Amino acid sequence: MPFYPSNAEWFEQSSMLIKAHPRTTRITSKYTVIDPSSSNNSKRRQKKLAKRKSTVTGENATATDDPLTSVVATFRLTTYDPVSGTNLQYQTDKAAEVGRLVGCLGRLARTMAALPDATTDFTLPAESGTGISTPTVEGGNEKKLGTTVAATMEKPIGPNSGAGGGGAGGKKKKKGKK
Amino acid sequence: MAKMVENHLSNDEFFAQLPKLFDANGEKGHGSIYLHQKRYIHSTDADTPSTTKQLDDPLWDTHPEHPLPIVIRAMNSKSDKWDGPNRPGVMDRKESKKVKISTMVQPDQLDVFYARYAEVCKMSMTALKKRDRKKRKQKKRKAGEGEKKG
Repeated sequence: MPFYPSNAEWFEQSSMLIKAHPRTTRITSKYTVIDPSSSNNSKRRQKKLAKRKSTVTGENATATDDPLTSVVATFRLTTYDPVSGTNLQYQTDKAAEVGRLVGCLGRLARTMAALPDATTDFTLPAESGTGISTPTVEGGNEKKLGTTVAATMEKPIGPNSGAGGGGAGGKKKKKGKK
Repeated sequence: MAKMVENHLSNDEFFAQLPKLFDANGEKGHGSIYLHQKRYIHSTDADTPSTTKQLDDPLWDTHPEHPLPIVIRAMNSKSDKWDGPNRPGVMDRKESKKVKISTMVQPDQLDVFYARYAEVCKMSMTALKKRDRKKRKQKKRKAGEGEKKG
């Protein structure tokens, strides 16, 4: 039951899981607002805090200014496939991510509905149904990606080889940041 | 109550009900909202191939002949296991009811539906942390300069 640190990673893995088991995989999003007064969680948290603070100062203190208590609400996405038992999770407490995450849910819903990805080329639906088409299309995408990456890598380098040029690019970027 | 789930709302009705579900949660000041999505499967399915065909092609469900609808379900977190005479806040829990709403989204409606869905979620999930704009802007500036020079 892995928790992914980034939503991109969660999206990628979920997308693959849905492609593998589109009939059974489901996505559950849970939006929770934590009750600071009576929930079990907060009691546990307060105990933890009390322990931590008592080790530092030797006294019990109130749980007001701690980062743990400042988390009021969470938004958790879970992709679960009962057949394989796979459970992929991502959790955030940032409001800014909601729009992006629901966008991800929409793209995953397209995969669930057996629609082609919005980002990929539209030759897919014509070929779908043969079963052989998917790997060839994926291969094509990879090739395209590879060429674009190579193109972007080569731009600042010129005639140099790929590996050496990449290093130079990195150095230049670092200088720019300073 | 469980059978009520099968009566799907229309997409418009669903969007009318969903904010109410979030509002009820907000009034209480805490609690959870669950949102599910999965492929719609008929119980007597014309799309399901015969068993011999399934054996021939074990991955038959990965490439159906035509796109399938998606079921979206939303519910609150009313749970019976917490009901007891001595629990704090038990009146609150007894008064609230388990609410389940669901809708079926046709494949051609998915993009429109999710655009509205995102709006409703953004409006309703107000307890999440707001973005710290100052730090982001500084980071973006630095990154932008780095790219130009590189």
